[in-house]
Amino acid sequence: MVTTRKKPIKSQRSARPAESGGKAAGAKRPARSVMARQLARERARRRAWIAAGIAAVLLVVAGFAGWYAYQSQRPDKAAASAPPPAGADAAGVRVGTGPVTVDVYLDFMCPHCRDFEDKAADTLAKLVSDGAATLVYHPLAFLDSASSTKYSSRSAAASGCAADAGTFVEYAAALYAQQPAEGSAGLSETQLVNLASVAGITDPAFEQCVRTDKHLAWVDGVTEQAVKKGVRGTPTIMVNGQAVDADPQAITDAVAKAS
Amino acid sequence: MRWTGLAARLVLAGVFLAAGGAKVGDLAASVRAVHAYDLLPYTASKVVGATLPFVEIAVGLLLLVGFATRLAAAVSAALMLVFVGGIASVWARGLRIDCGCFGGGGELAADRSPSYGWEIARDVALLAMAGYLLFRPAGRFALDNAFIPEEDDDGDDEEEADQESAVGSAG
Repeated sequence: MVTTRKKPIKSQRSARPAESGGKAAGAKRPARSVMARQLARERARRRAWIAAGIAAVLLVVAGFAGWYAYQSQRPDKAAASAPPPAGADAAGVRVGTGPVTVDVYLDFMCPHCRDFEDKAADTLAKLVSDGAATLVYHPLAFLDSASSTKYSSRSAAASGCAADAGTFVEYAAALYAQQPAEGSAGLSETQLVNLASVAGITDPAFEQCVRTDKHLAWVDGVTEQAVKKGVRGTPTIMVNGQAVDADPQAITDAVAKAS
Repeated sequence: MRWTGLAARLVLAGVFLAAGGAKVGDLAASVRAVHAYDLLPYTASKVVGATLPFVEIAVGLLLLVGFATRLAAAVSAALMLVFVGGIASVWARGLRIDCGCFGGGGELAADRSPSYGWEIARDVALLAMAGYLLFRPAGRFALDNAFIPEEDDDGDDEEEADQESAVGSAG
């Protein structure tokens, strides 16, 4: 369409000197008055505005579609009112009764969190057994897009089921030991259920809890609270609310200083 | 110059479609990526993070087909200005995050370093393309051409000829 419009104009222009020899440009198309051209220009402008209006509506609709999709990607609102796992509140799973609070923000899909577990599990266990600190584990759904099955959310929800059985820490260790590769499908529900034996879970309610994703909405809430607190990645460690390096020595030093 | 418009449209469209497409699957991650800039209250981060990927895709489609190109270019330019400002602000405050431009986002792992300079340079280049389209929206194969006769063209073709030769000599 562009080329067909253009060609006649060019040929007209090349013919111009022969016809009207150097006259003003306006004289070259006597059939098309100045007013007609003015009208055509206004019509074009009006059409351009209409197109822009349609496009603007499209952009607004796209925005609303995004908001709707965001809400529908999150777990059911109805399930959000379900109680948190035993020993947990809306922010995370509490372990121990010490005076200093150590927050551990983690994602079972995150390799650096597994490294942290390998390095720091003994130190954290000792802080609890010495009565020096209360650990608050926040299993987050940060890396849902790193697996094809939202493994971050599913494994975190399963860890909530382990908290119900009183074995969050043991089950977390079992999850890290079986950490799936990025981009994989992650562990299946059955595999998550079978890890119960590794963690010493005997409660028959565990299987039902995992298979129904009972604590999925809790994980969504834990994740949202963490983001609101300014947690941007995993692992993130805080001692009495102050961020410290994800390193056993840094944590014990900070706990000693705080108590 | 009409090919330049087409090229600018296609590059911008490709970038927006890729950027939006990478984010729509996990909009909660998009919200976290926005909130990681630490510029907005959480509710605002939610609105921006949830709507931006879809708006990016819509702008990408408009540019791809060349419909309402001038508006799409204006929105693109505005988005690029916001992106550049956001990244510059993060850089100035010493935060270490992934820009989340094409999915991902959030704090960088200890073994990765930020690439704010490159990200800003890329967005400025895209901003220049959007700016070009803002002033010369009619390029080849634009849907706009089918129903909006170009303003420049409907009478004084002298001017267009001048522009064409100017661009030709510049290039």
